[in-house]
Amino acid sequence: MAEPLLLLGAAAIAALAGLAWLALAMEVHWAQVHGLRARATPARLRTAGAAALALSFALCLGADHVSMAVLVWLMLLAGSALAIAMMLSTRPQWLRWLWLAR
Amino acid sequence: MFQSFRLCMAWLHTWFGLMLGFVLMVVFFFGALSVFDREIDRWALPESRFQPQPMPSFDRVLRPAFERMQPSKDDIALLDGRVHGPLPERFDTVRHWGAYTTHRDPVVAVFAGYEVPKAKDPEETVWASHALDPRDGRVLPEGRLRISSQFFYPLHYSLTLNWKDLGTWIVGFSALMMLAALVSGVVMHRKIFREFFTFRRDKSVQRSALDLHNLTGVVALPFHFFFAFTGLVIFAGLYFPVAHTQLRSLHELSEKIEARETGLPHERAGVAAPLASVDAMVAEAQRRWAARGMAGEVGYLGVQHVGDANAYVSVYRAGTDRVALTGEGIHFKASTGELLREDPPRTAVDSVNEFLTGLHLQHFRHWLLRWLYVLGGLLGCVCIATGFIFFVEKRKQQHAKVGSPGSRVVDALAVATVTGMLIATTAMLVANRLLSEALPDKGDWEKTVFWSAWALALLHAFARNGAVALGRRSPAWREQCLLAAAGAVAAVVANAVTTGDHLGRTLADGYWPVAGVDLSLLAMAAIALLAARRLGRVGQRTAARGTPAAIAGASNG
Repeated sequence: MAEPLLLLGAAAIAALAGLAWLALAMEVHWAQVHGLRARATPARLRTAGAAALALSFALCLGADHVSMAVLVWLMLLAGSALAIAMMLSTRPQWLRWLWLAR
Repeated sequence: MFQSFRLCMAWLHTWFGLMLGFVLMVVFFFGALSVFDREIDRWALPESRFQPQPMPSFDRVLRPAFERMQPSKDDIALLDGRVHGPLPERFDTVRHWGAYTTHRDPVVAVFAGYEVPKAKDPEETVWASHALDPRDGRVLPEGRLRISSQFFYPLHYSLTLNWKDLGTWIVGFSALMMLAALVSGVVMHRKIFREFFTFRRDKSVQRSALDLHNLTGVVALPFHFFFAFTGLVIFAGLYFPVAHTQLRSLHELSEKIEARETGLPHERAGVAAPLASVDAMVAEAQRRWAARGMAGEVGYLGVQHVGDANAYVSVYRAGTDRVALTGEGIHFKASTGELLREDPPRTAVDSVNEFLTGLHLQHFRHWLLRWLYVLGGLLGCVCIATGFIFFVEKRKQQHAKVGSPGSRVVDALAVATVTGMLIATTAMLVANRLLSEALPDKGDWEKTVFWSAWALALLHAFARNGAVALGRRSPAWREQCLLAAAGAVAAVVANAVTTGDHLGRTLADGYWPVAGVDLSLLAMAAIALLAARRLGRVGQRTAARGTPAAIAGASNG
C-alpha cells in the first residue's frame, strides 16, 4: 500500500478538481471563470467531475479502512466545495487552466 | 395558518433557528475545540507537556497510585442527604478501579469508585479521579483544570448546567431542532443545486450573509446531520431513561442474567482475596489480540470488586484503527489470572451503535480527519452566525422605522455569542497562564474569568448597539473582533513567557500539541483582525449614508 498521506493528498486534489468541473458545468460559474468565451459541453464537464470524485473516493479507500474512508471523503468534499466557492468568488482566474476555453 | 408548506418551514427555520442558534453556536464551537481537547490540555498544564505514553505497568505504577486514592472533599460533599447519618470520612470498599489513556494522552486518567457505607441507595458510588504521570506514578495536583477535557468538552454537551442534567436536555433539544432546521432549510432553499457554489461577496450584506449561510449549511450538511444525530444517540440513555426507571427491576435481572452468561460476577462474594499480577494478564490479552491481527495498545484497564474473591480484571484495546468504538475486551479472574471471557464479535445492532458513537467521539488515529471535523464544526458556527446576521439585516430598517427593539436585541446577543465567546475563551487561556500555579482552586478562577469575560462582552454588546436601532451596524462587532485578536496574541505571548515553550522551540522540537494551539490562536487573531479591518471600512461607508428616515424612526422609539 502506498503512503497514506500521499493517497489522501491526491484524494483532496481529485475532490477539488471534480467539484471545480461540476461548477464549470454551470453557466454562471463558467462565465465567472472564462467570461464570454464559448461554453464547453456541460455534459462532458459533469462526467469529468463525477469521475474525479469517484477517483477521490477510491484514493480514500486506498488509505484507510472503509468506514473511515467514507467520513474522510465526505469531509474532503465539504472542504473542497467551500474552497471552490471561495475561489469562484475571489480568484476565479485560478480555475481557468482546469478546462481551457476554445 | 400558513399559505404554503414552504412558508411554514420558513417560520420554523427562522424562529427555532434564532432561539436555539445561541445554544448551537456554543455546541459547535466547543465541539470543534474538543476535537483537540488533549492538545489544549497540554497547553494549559505545562507539567504534562511530554510525549504520549502507553498504558503503564499496573503492578508497579498504577496499583500503588490506586491504593493511595480517596474521594475528594467536593465529591464527598455531593453525598449530602443521600446517606443515613453523618457523611463517612473514609471509603474502604472499592467497587471499581479504572485507568484510561489514548494515543494522544501523556497522562493516564485514573479513577476509583467506592461503596458508600449506610447509603440510602445501596448502589450509591462515590468516585475519585486523577490525572497520573505514567512515568513515575505521581498524580498531578488537584484544583488544576484540564481546560479542554474538563471544561470546553462539558460545555459542548451540557453547557455545564449540571442541575438535573438540564444542560444536556437543552443541548439535546437543540440538536433535535437542528435536524428539523436542516430539513426545513433544504425545503426553503429553492436553488440548492444551482447555487451550490454561490457566494456573492460584493452584493449587500443581507445577500452575501444568506449566500454564506446556504453555502456552509449545504456543503457540510452530512456533517451537521450526522453529528446532531449521533450526539442524540450517545445520550439516548439519558433522554430515554427507561432502563433505570420503568424497567428498573428488569434491568437488574438482565444484569444478573448477563453476569451468569458472561461468567463475570455481578456481586461481591464477601470473601477477601489478593490480586494476582495484572501485567501478566495484560500480556496475555495482547497475545490474544495479536493472534487476531489487531493492534495491541491497551486503552482501558479496569478491576471490578477490588479485593474480593469475585474480583475480575478487564482489559480493553485502544481501537485507534477503526471509527467504531470497539474494545475487544478480555476478562480475567483477579485472584488467579485465569481467563474468564473474551468478548465475542459484535452483533449488527452493536456494530452500528459503535460506529455512530465512534464517529462522534473519534478515538481513531487520523489527523486529517480530526482537522476536517474542526472545519465541519467551524462551518456550523459560520452557518449560525450568518443566520443571525441575515435575521438582523433583513429586519433592521423596518424595525428602525417602527421603533421596534427586536433586531437591536438579536444583534447584541449575536455579538456576544459570536465574538464574545472568542473573547471569553482567550481570556480563560490568558488567565490560565498568568494566575499563579500555587493558587488553590486555580481551575475555578479560570472558569470565573471565562464567565466574567463573557458577561462583560454581553454588556458591551448591549451598550454599543444603539446604531442598530438607527438601521446601521453595531460598532461592537468590530471592537470585539479587535479584543478577541488581542486576547489570542496575549495567550501566545503569555505561554512563551511563562513556560519558555515559544513557537520557535515547539516547532523545532516538533511538539505539535502546544505549537498547534499557538498557531491556531495566531490564525484566529489574523482572521479577527481582517474582519475588524473590513468592518471598519464598511462602517465608514455606511456612516456617511445614515438615512434621515431611520434616524427619525429611532428618535420616535
